[in-house]
Amino acid sequence: MITAQDKILHVANKLGLTSLKDMQASTGAVYDVDTDLSGQIFSNAARHQNPSITNINENQFEVNEALLVETIAFYVLNAGGDTENFQRIYGSDTDIMFDLIIGNKRVMKDTPIFAAGSPFTFANTANFTAALGPNNLQFFAPRHQVFMEGAGILIPPQVQWSVQYTIFNVVSGAVVAPTASTQIGCYLFGTKVLLNFNTSI
Amino acid sequence: MASQPQKLAYVDGKLGAPTSGQQTTRILFNTIEAPGTTSTLVFFRNFQGLTSGQTNLTQNKLDSMESMIIKTISLYNYAPEGNLRNFGGAVQQTLSIIVGNQTVVKQLPIQFNQGTNGQAFDRLHENGGAEGQALGASDVLQNTLPCEIRLLTDIVIPPQVAFEVRIDSNSAAYTAAGAVTCVLSGYGKIFSAGNSF
Repeated sequence: MITAQDKILHVANKLGLTSLKDMQASTGAVYDVDTDLSGQIFSNAARHQNPSITNINENQFEVNEALLVETIAFYVLNAGGDTENFQRIYGSDTDIMFDLIIGNKRVMKDTPIFAAGSPFTFANTANFTAALGPNNLQFFAPRHQVFMEGAGILIPPQVQWSVQYTIFNVVSGAVVAPTASTQIGCYLFGTKVLLNFNTSI
Repeated sequence: MASQPQKLAYVDGKLGAPTSGQQTTRILFNTIEAPGTTSTLVFFRNFQGLTSGQTNLTQNKLDSMESMIIKTISLYNYAPEGNLRNFGGAVQQTLSIIVGNQTVVKQLPIQFNQGTNGQAFDRLHENGGAEGQALGASDVLQNTLPCEIRLLTDIVIPPQVAFEVRIDSNSAAYTAAGAVTCVLSGYGKIFSAGNSF
């Protein structure tokens, strides 16, 4: 089984990124929110406040920085800036259909995330139940993510990436529009490569 | 043990199918609206009238340059108000996957993996079908999780080969005005033009 580090080096070698192997390996995540309600995430990160909305200044990495995406997750940001569970806000009968685009290539296409709990979270148990008032009723707030166990996907240095999404109602098939108080956010998590000056300066 | 990429490359190689293409995580799904009470559900057979939020295929086969591994099967049963219910109530049902003219998963019981009486096949999903306390008829919060089964042997869907998922029961009651959805997820390859154009 190929490791994350092996995969990064393999792709870097294919792309001619000879110095990536000398950089600092790490773990990282990037996130952003579709504040324009345009159906695109990360494209407008440069205009967003850091860190309340995003943790990147532009939707491409610096020289010799990269991210092997191993998990993609979605969440909701409300008007108060709180992070909310997608199912709590949109209901169990919705799903997010998304594409991940790196450069001019669509590397994940028509991928669903189900509000009721997605496949490929690897374990449904990673949810929580909470007391709901005097009767102590309980509910589930499932994860909304894709765990990419088969193959992580590398975002190379200095290449733009974005996520396109649409929300649907699974039962009726209708499109569900986000609002200013129910903005959709996304994070990409995985093995990160950080710029390392040790051998250069 | 072969990984998902290794198994897909091996089977595609045996079939003479293209092995190039963008490696990715692939999730296919199909919905049946208003299933009601029935003894047979067949997913990935009908795509008519479904929107992109109800299925992500337009035919029951992958494109010519695409193939995938099925690693996980998930089943959802939506009530009319949108909340999730146990898939087909609490009665026994079996699942079969047919690829081409071959049954590759045969009458696999699904009921153990959901509901308050569930005895999930693997530890990862030991609470996969757990059910919270009842929230009443008009509940808006979710108290049931989807039925999810992780396969021990990876199943390959080759390019351009028809497939379907069949659920058999003795008149299981699904939601009459809601919908049921079947999801197949795993590693896959999608068409990549590269520098061909």
